[in-house]
Amino acid sequence: MIPDLPDLARMRRERFERLQDQLEAREIDGLVLLGTSSVVYATGAAMPAEDGDRAALFRAVAIVVRGESAPHLYTLYADGAPPEVQLHGPLFPDLDDGMDVFAKAVAEHFGAAARIGVDHQSHAMLRGLSGYVWVDASGVLGAAKILKTPDEVACIRHAQRVNELAMLDALSILRPGVRQTDLSAAFLRRVFELGASAGGIDPIWQVMAPYRELGPWTSHGDLAYPTVTTDRFLRHDDVIWVDAGIMWQGYASDYGRTWVVGADPNAAQLRQFWRWRAVVDACLEILEPGVSALQLGRVAIEANDGVRPWIEHFYLAHGVGTDSAEMPLIGTDFGEQFDEKLILAPGMVAVFEPIIWEEGAAGYRAEDIVAVTDTGFIKLSGSTYDPYGFAA
Amino acid sequence: MSPAPRDRGVLVGMMSLEDGSRVDFSELRAARRAKIFSRMETHGIDALMLGGAGDVRYVSGARQLGRAGVLPFAPVAVVVRSTRRVHLLSTWDEGVPPEIAREDLYGLSWNPANLVAALGAIPGLRESRRVGTDGLTPMFAGLLAGLVDGAELVDAAPVTAAARRIKSAGEITCLDVASAIAESALSALEDALQPGITERELLGIYHEQIATLGAPNPPSESVCFATPFHGPVRFRHLASDRPVGDGELVVLAPGALYAGYESGLARTRVAGASAPPGAADLASRCAQGIDSLLAVCRPGNTGADLYRAWEDAENPESPVPLAHGLGLGAEPPVIGLGRGADATLEEGMVLSVQSWVAAPGIGGCLERATVVIESGGALPLTRYGRLQ
Repeated sequence: MIPDLPDLARMRRERFERLQDQLEAREIDGLVLLGTSSVVYATGAAMPAEDGDRAALFRAVAIVVRGESAPHLYTLYADGAPPEVQLHGPLFPDLDDGMDVFAKAVAEHFGAAARIGVDHQSHAMLRGLSGYVWVDASGVLGAAKILKTPDEVACIRHAQRVNELAMLDALSILRPGVRQTDLSAAFLRRVFELGASAGGIDPIWQVMAPYRELGPWTSHGDLAYPTVTTDRFLRHDDVIWVDAGIMWQGYASDYGRTWVVGADPNAAQLRQFWRWRAVVDACLEILEPGVSALQLGRVAIEANDGVRPWIEHFYLAHGVGTDSAEMPLIGTDFGEQFDEKLILAPGMVAVFEPIIWEEGAAGYRAEDIVAVTDTGFIKLSGSTYDPYGFAA
Repeated sequence: MSPAPRDRGVLVGMMSLEDGSRVDFSELRAARRAKIFSRMETHGIDALMLGGAGDVRYVSGARQLGRAGVLPFAPVAVVVRSTRRVHLLSTWDEGVPPEIAREDLYGLSWNPANLVAALGAIPGLRESRRVGTDGLTPMFAGLLAGLVDGAELVDAAPVTAAARRIKSAGEITCLDVASAIAESALSALEDALQPGITERELLGIYHEQIATLGAPNPPSESVCFATPFHGPVRFRHLASDRPVGDGELVVLAPGALYAGYESGLARTRVAGASAPPGAADLASRCAQGIDSLLAVCRPGNTGADLYRAWEDAENPESPVPLAHGLGLGAEPPVIGLGRGADATLEEGMVLSVQSWVAAPGIGGCLERATVVIESGGALPLTRYGRLQ
């Protein structure tokens, strides 16, 4: 049962229990986490979205100790700390200056030779935090994150709702002469009014050339996507693939739709859309606990007359959570054996994003987000595909 | 055009001009690469494997997808000294500058084994004896050790951080443009500020303004907060839904990025017609604070001089840094919160300097400036009127 809105305290508690279970199962004494999405997952800390190196220099650090009831949070952004965390001042793990403070903090939580999971190590840490056995935290994090609690699913659904509502504003100004960054302006203004907690990823409004060879060169010969937004003007008949992933309460959304500039979709474009719908429906038809990623890939290919309906460097579907793309990844370069062993289970969230491509007529791309339930799935994204019409 | 226009104002715009007077990005990139290769030579580093957003941008000059937050280390750019090539993780060539050829690109992989195989095909990399990285994970430490068998994995910072610290004239121009975008955002915030508006609405207006100007990625979404008349006054970073009260002091602190270079400024304004009693004194304390910090931002001075200037102005310890480096995002040093006393200021460094003062019963006041350290002292890159 997915609540309308999440119980955030319960969500944080249940996530923390999952991390503890994994630490127990893997005999790891604790975690030292530095990546934004891991810190958010472990602590529920809110922090202002920051670009690349600012996010690094002023990063928050989470320390999870096996057997404790709440995480430790070391942050400059005390106003975003949930009440149950043990709050400390910032650690600046990228600097040698003050590494003694970090070393002292780690020593307060862990004995000599403790086995500690870590998701990133600066050279200052490699120099200053010796005497422990550092193991990769990705096993613990991956296993905990792949199955969402009902509250996490509610967060993703709400983030998606905010994203989709704000897209109405962007779509309403779409016409020849509007620039990609104008669409970003309309969209971003609205998402924050609607309560988004972060923009997340620079919104994509990529113009798709009608032929692959008229688009950007790629190493694999398949399509380039997504390319970075600029002040490029959008012109009559341009087909644009829209992609945006604003955040709410630490969770990413994922809006994917195709728009046409200055014209209604023509008959060929509408056919592409219906083909896309048929591919996703074929997947949803078999989606239930126990189905493998490989089976999903196969029905998608079959529904597209034997042609793989996703871009070579991507996937048929990906998970979403505190990262914009996370497990389960379906149809990637992990390969068929991996997909065969990846079995869908209740609590997994999958963003289906097949593409339908026709040389000479560009193509259609959209994204449907679903959460796997005990008996099947529920849809988390909306069911309008303007300007291609309504379809459930 | 003369190589150095006497009126630098002509450089502060975002459209290229047909006389070529604005930033020459190919020259900017070439100068950055030359600095990197020269430092690799000096420090005996054969290859770099970089994952930090600023480092990747510095060595590659590629336009990469803007994303909030920091990811764990992964090799996104590779620099090989013997071939003098820069390689980039990119499946396509759009956004990649011409000096990085198509064969220098390696594609996106989800499977780390495939990524390592692609890296293994980079000419000259396997033969490297000393490889600098800007971070590691236990997984990549293992994978890279297998890739560059027997090589020493060392800190890339003596090459990258050191190259980035001192800005070229072209980099300063980028920072000038970023400053002007941030000032434009401050004007938009100031126009919109009135009792009843929420911080969240102001944040939306901020985003709209920078995106309209063609620079949609914010360096930080911490851009405004109202400070209360009553109770303790805290520096806040997250936008709230509470309507701003009449007469409250509101911090407006927008930043902007131009070609990756970050600038920002902050001013404090009154929402509504009348300021709370004592606001003028608080504003004057805030102004004295930043003036005293800026007065000691000189080559050869250290972070300790900033700490001393702040204390001499009779301010309590600041809960936010007094200063930190800027360039392709925030950079070391951080001066404040117990760090950076030994950091030496050098000519050509760019700093964000800030003065935060607060008084219960009145509110808080923040002033922040982006400055470049010149031989004679700090030259402000950001300009805006003060709260009187």
